[in-house]
Amino acid sequence: MSARDAAVATQRGRRAGRWDRVLASESTTGWLFVSPAVIVIGLFGVAPIIWSVVLSFQSNDLVTPATWIGLANYKALLHDPMFAASVRRTILYTVLFVPVVTVGALGLAVALNRRLRGMRFYRTAVFAPVVTSTVATAIMFNWLLDPDFGIVNALLVKLGFSAQGFFQSPSQALYCIVVMTVWGWLGFAVIIFLAALQGVPQELMEAAAIDGATRWRAFRRVQLPMLGPATLFLVIWLSINALQLFDEIYVTTRGGPLSATTVVVYYLYQQAFQVFQAGYATAIAYVLFLGILLLTVVQLLIGRRFVHYRS
Amino acid sequence: MKLARTPERIRVRGAATLVLLAATVALVLLAALLAACGSSTSTSTSASPGGSGTVTLWHGDVDVERAALESMAAQYNGTNPPWKVQTVFSGNSDYALQKLLTAMAGGKAPDMMYQYGSSLPNLARSPKIVTIGDLIAKTPSYDWNDFYPAARLACTVNGKIKAVPSLIDNLCLVYNKKLFDQAGVSYPTAQWTWADFRAAAKKLTNASVKQYGWAYVADGSEDSVWRYLATLWQANGDLLNADNTKAAFDSPAGLASMTLLHDMAVVDKSVYLDTGNGNYMNLFNNGKIAMLWTGPWDMSTINKDVQYDVEILPADVVHASIAGPDSWIMVDNGADRVQGAWSFLQWFTSAKGHLEYAIKTGNLPIRESETKLPEYKQYLAKYPYAKVFVDNLNNVTKARPNIPQYPKISIALGQAVQGVLLGKLQPQQALDQASQQVDAILSAPM
Repeated sequence: MSARDAAVATQRGRRAGRWDRVLASESTTGWLFVSPAVIVIGLFGVAPIIWSVVLSFQSNDLVTPATWIGLANYKALLHDPMFAASVRRTILYTVLFVPVVTVGALGLAVALNRRLRGMRFYRTAVFAPVVTSTVATAIMFNWLLDPDFGIVNALLVKLGFSAQGFFQSPSQALYCIVVMTVWGWLGFAVIIFLAALQGVPQELMEAAAIDGATRWRAFRRVQLPMLGPATLFLVIWLSINALQLFDEIYVTTRGGPLSATTVVVYYLYQQAFQVFQAGYATAIAYVLFLGILLLTVVQLLIGRRFVHYRS
Repeated sequence: MKLARTPERIRVRGAATLVLLAATVALVLLAALLAACGSSTSTSTSASPGGSGTVTLWHGDVDVERAALESMAAQYNGTNPPWKVQTVFSGNSDYALQKLLTAMAGGKAPDMMYQYGSSLPNLARSPKIVTIGDLIAKTPSYDWNDFYPAARLACTVNGKIKAVPSLIDNLCLVYNKKLFDQAGVSYPTAQWTWADFRAAAKKLTNASVKQYGWAYVADGSEDSVWRYLATLWQANGDLLNADNTKAAFDSPAGLASMTLLHDMAVVDKSVYLDTGNGNYMNLFNNGKIAMLWTGPWDMSTINKDVQYDVEILPADVVHASIAGPDSWIMVDNGADRVQGAWSFLQWFTSAKGHLEYAIKTGNLPIRESETKLPEYKQYLAKYPYAKVFVDNLNNVTKARPNIPQYPKISIALGQAVQGVLLGKLQPQQALDQASQQVDAILSAPM
């Protein structure tokens, strides 16, 4: 509250009661304005979050009355080899997915950041997978990578390689998911980079050119440092999404073959809705949440050291 | 705000705030009212005993089945029952259990709902699921034993009837006659053994044109498991012991059936392994797969130009098949509503009511007496393939155990079947692993 506001309030306070003062204050007005949103978010956001905390301390199948078991769900997680394996798979996926998308998108964004004939077409083409639904993407990749009838195997065989199992091979399925999701996410990252590239002031690039910098040097010394904030945002955003991978698995491999693509959230789903251990599943969700929180904090701390923000 | 604040302005702001406050309160009340309306779908109270109003039925039917269900409900409502029925499409039945659990947790469950048989043991543990057996006991005209055995078994949990049958199907051998003719293989017969089946599948496989003798859904889900159970029963094996306390499939019969899968998928390579996305049906339509083990639900997706026929499954010892019976469950939303819902289900699952529905949809009869009604001829005329499926219901003498642990058992067994089909596990190794897991699941406290 500014000094003037305070003065106005005191002035009014002399004439009206305290209740009027509260009603008239700016913060009350503000809260009233946002109250519809607050109610909706509270009802559908905050309340379930609180309920799920409670759930994670229960043995609860959502059908029969729940029993309070304290930290037993969390303790059981520590000794669950399936959970450990799903964590390893999720980390492997994230470690592959995030750098590939980030570096790939940067390259594409630089390539698309020019004035060429038909550039709009190329940009649209790169962005198209983002607006394609996951299910459509999955069906397409299922057919492309079908071991018997897929076009990819047909090409491989023609080139003299042996046909691969892809989604049906326990050793390849997760990598196929990486390829599929990279394809789906690349356009999003490209747009972010493209916007950041176009935000680099033209005079800086001109100055670099006048100083005799080659194109590569100008990119390396001027453009790249200016992309820091965008890169940090992307890495955090992509990491969060990678750790929460589910849809793509659900519509392609369903965690298989032989659990090869059972990542954390898919395992959570299995626990909650296939074997009815909702308490255990919410405990997994909270461990995942803490993991994501920790990773994000670390990324932000590292980012603070390396990322350059223009004032 | 740049304007100077005079006391008058402040008074105006105060009034505006009050109006806003009133508006917000009104909004919240409206929201609460709407929510309340949503939860109690017209619980109109009338003077008549038993009450009247509308009971809701959630289902996952689309196309023909949805239209048939809606027309049956309209027909029922036309008789002016005190409780009318409102059908609500609640999405694909694959998610019916999740939907119902969520709805029950939120206190907004429907009065009746379509559920897969496999969901029942877990649902039955909820006190809110009506024990329909008690209602049947008071309704002698509702001849329970008239339902096919597999359907009755699927609705019974721990000796109590917790649901009534909504649909019953079973696996038969569906084959493409043209591919048999081309390969010079004689058509399957009701006397076929596993050896005949395997040899035919091998002859019908042609790697150069990517043609397969058989297809198997190898995604490790229940879809993988129940076909395996059919082979296990054909070899006269059992999944669990009699009192459902231990695995019984690590047996000569279990090994024989696992070996059949291994020999066909890995040795002969005569099996197209479907990843669970249903490609097998497209491939069958395109003449790339000669034989399927499938049920009536797939028949409407077979293209008109495919010349196919249906035969019962081959035997090792017996020609066993498996049924995937689904059911109608009832949720206790008050005694009056239960009575209203039960009146509808009684009518809808009577021999006459169901046969009428079956003629509309091609679903198999759920009661044996339906096949004795005069309209049954009309049914067979409309769905000629159905005769083998209906007769095959007599080959379904065993059912999956109706215990809450079954979903976990299914996952363990699914991994074993998938491992064998993909050549990653030897049959005995897969059985050892799975039976150890199943024993652990059964001995753990629920």
